[in-house]
Amino acid sequence: MECALDAQSLISISLRKIHSSRTQRGGIKLHKNLLVSYVLRNARQLYLSERYAELYRRQQQQQQQQPPHHQHQHLAYAAPGMPASAADFGPLQLGGGGDAEAREPVARHQLHQLHQLHQLHLQQQLHQHQHPAPRGCAAAAAGAPAGGAGALSELPGCAALQPPHGAPHRGQPLEPLQPGPAPLPPPAPTALCPRDPRASAACSAPSAPPGAAPQAATAASPPASPAPASSPGFYRGAYPAPSDFGVHCSSQTTVLDLDTHVVTTVENGYLHQDCCASAHCPCCGQGAPGPGLASAAGCKRKYYPGQEEEDDDDEDAGDLGAEPPGGVPFAPCKRARFEDFCPDSSPDASNISNLISIFGSGFSGLVSRQPDSSEQPPPLNGQLCAKQALASLGAWTRAIVAF
Amino acid sequence: MIPGIGAFTQDTLWCFSQVKGTMETGTTEADIISTVEFNHTGELLATGDKGGRVVIFQREQESKNQVHRRGEYNVYSTFQSHEPEFDYLKSLEIEEKINKIRWLPQQNAAYFLLSTNDKTVKLWKVSERDKRPEGYNLKDEEGRLRDPATITTLRVPVLRPMDLMVEATPRRVFANAHTYHINSISVNSDYETYMSADDLRINLWNFEITNQSFNIVDIKPANMEELTEVITAAEFHPHHCNTFVYSSSKGTIRLCDMRASALCDRHTKFFEEPEDPSNRSFFSEIISSISDVKFSHSGRYIMTRDYLTVKVWDLNMENRPIETYQVHDYLRSKLCSLYENDCIFDKFECVWNGSDSVIMTGSYNNFFRMFDRNTKRDVTLEASRENSKPRAILKPRKVCVGGKRRKDEISVDSLDFSKKILHTAWHPSENIIAVAATNNLYIFQDKVN
Repeated sequence: MECALDAQSLISISLRKIHSSRTQRGGIKLHKNLLVSYVLRNARQLYLSERYAELYRRQQQQQQQQPPHHQHQHLAYAAPGMPASAADFGPLQLGGGGDAEAREPVARHQLHQLHQLHQLHLQQQLHQHQHPAPRGCAAAAAGAPAGGAGALSELPGCAALQPPHGAPHRGQPLEPLQPGPAPLPPPAPTALCPRDPRASAACSAPSAPPGAAPQAATAASPPASPAPASSPGFYRGAYPAPSDFGVHCSSQTTVLDLDTHVVTTVENGYLHQDCCASAHCPCCGQGAPGPGLASAAGCKRKYYPGQEEEDDDDEDAGDLGAEPPGGVPFAPCKRARFEDFCPDSSPDASNISNLISIFGSGFSGLVSRQPDSSEQPPPLNGQLCAKQALASLGAWTRAIVAF
Repeated sequence: MIPGIGAFTQDTLWCFSQVKGTMETGTTEADIISTVEFNHTGELLATGDKGGRVVIFQREQESKNQVHRRGEYNVYSTFQSHEPEFDYLKSLEIEEKINKIRWLPQQNAAYFLLSTNDKTVKLWKVSERDKRPEGYNLKDEEGRLRDPATITTLRVPVLRPMDLMVEATPRRVFANAHTYHINSISVNSDYETYMSADDLRINLWNFEITNQSFNIVDIKPANMEELTEVITAAEFHPHHCNTFVYSSSKGTIRLCDMRASALCDRHTKFFEEPEDPSNRSFFSEIISSISDVKFSHSGRYIMTRDYLTVKVWDLNMENRPIETYQVHDYLRSKLCSLYENDCIFDKFECVWNGSDSVIMTGSYNNFFRMFDRNTKRDVTLEASRENSKPRAILKPRKVCVGGKRRKDEISVDSLDFSKKILHTAWHPSENIIAVAATNNLYIFQDKVN
């Protein structure tokens, strides 16, 4: 009775369990799904750390063959089994000119993608503290002009996708993003939060409603709302082949719906049709149909001051808020929401946050689809799957819809 | 030999006594036993199954001419406790499976028990009727109403003996108080209140009041995405009506005192054993989740069951258990397979014997284990039809972990993981145990010398 004890199979098994628990008699069992989420977290951490280790080794090999341009580049990776926490990936460096130096493109690209995946959830967590409004793209654009690692450290995911050049790119046509060293973490693998005081300030105000963005964060980065129009342009040029799902949008996950065989892309928790295939990519072309709307649609469970009730029956009252104008009627997914993403906070909080980063906002859909939430059959298109995101990084063959 | 007291010596041998249930291999799921419980005297034994039925067995009076055979348990009453329901608001089906049965102490001729499914607790009254009134004036023998004009005389109805009839009536229904699945109920020692626990909340009820309950524990986070643990079991202290414990999926136990505050979110004591980092695996969180917690009869100790071990804790020491017993440590290397086939989520229960000297819990392959706390000896027994001859002595079983398998041993890979013993019960004062093996109930007694 042997089974493959590797991270990949465990993740797929776990996702399958969560998926099948939807249809089990008696409703979703909170306890069992919580335990499965722990396995998912562990497997995911191992998987990511293994990948990073492997790519780092490859990187090292190439580095030895070339004169080292960035000696300080150092990818810290956690030992297998240890949580690949934010401590491993600190604020990103934009790097100087030497980045354009040709390096082994494939490894760096993969590393970049992997890093991006990890930054995805970091970024989601941080964004939660900052603005409910435009995430991802616009925020990245806002962060870009500031140059320097400081501002970008708050938006690591987006920063990862920016071209290596430090100059602001707003409004400028951009070269396709070279898999440059920019996304590589800086030498000192410190935790994201402590490293950047502004980010840590954001972290330390966990219960601040998104609307009341922590002052530090507001002061730190330019408001996210300006120039949303420029951000799509910024983004459109910034990325390579549109078929590369994982890279397209910083806060993007791709979903394969096993029921309808529709491939959709979720950006910022806001579900679109396959935006890479469409000419009018909402996240890239139209500046997101109203950042406010996107956020409203994407935020299923907003914190309204004074409304943090535990009224189970009313919990999902605001679920189906504004429908995304994507044309497809489906319930928007819940936005991932994190209270403390500080390394010194309880590691437990990061358990579920890690899971949520896997599913985007899908897990919150799981736990809220307990008997206490007003029940809707889970919408077909509102499903997120980390597997597809991971699929772009490795030799995955199975895409499993979580729920 | 004094029954139930220090009885686990080398002389203690367990014998088969009875088995209840069908022998067919193809069992319907509704017949799977989901809970077993003796009442406070041991005279009655109740079982609940997945089909929502409760079957109560009563021990027959021991006859003088069959002194070597202790009283057998025969069916006393059967009733449908819970039916499947549908929550239309949430589009959820509510299973009728009986999760727990708890007896109330007997205070009059009738017996009372609590039975619960995922959402609703019911108080059942089980009473006997062996007389019936005859000689009604307004009704005839068949019960039809008589025309008052035809009545010329009056008589007083008399009670005449009839065949014993045991009737079960639902006296109280405690519903709509739990959002999550109820996993435990526990009767308080004041016999006026009881608690019901679900994944995130514990409610305190008064037996007389069904439309209200007090919430005494609530671990639901404001943001469900921060959920890290759930309540897995809860029990009142056997003597102190203000004290209860609840266990969590993280392997911790909290003891709460209701005198401290109305909402016992802050524990009085917190029992947790530091995790052994060398044992860390993908499944560490799962196997550390406590599936059952039981106070000892003395009230001094609590026993917890997680996937691989049983632990005994002293209420006065919070930082680690005083005893840890390995139930089936050979499964530690099989956790991945057990995760795949969902066996790792099985919730085993554990029980104390009457004197708190021996603890018992179930395992796979219809094995169950007993640990003597005094002699530190343990035994593995099997509940199977092969050992079902009357008064047949159960032979200890052994699972072979190494390569070389001895004659009577069974290898780990041959274990049947579909035959699991999750529910067992021990008579409160005698060495009589009830072991639920899927759809069969085995009753074993110690050999009377």
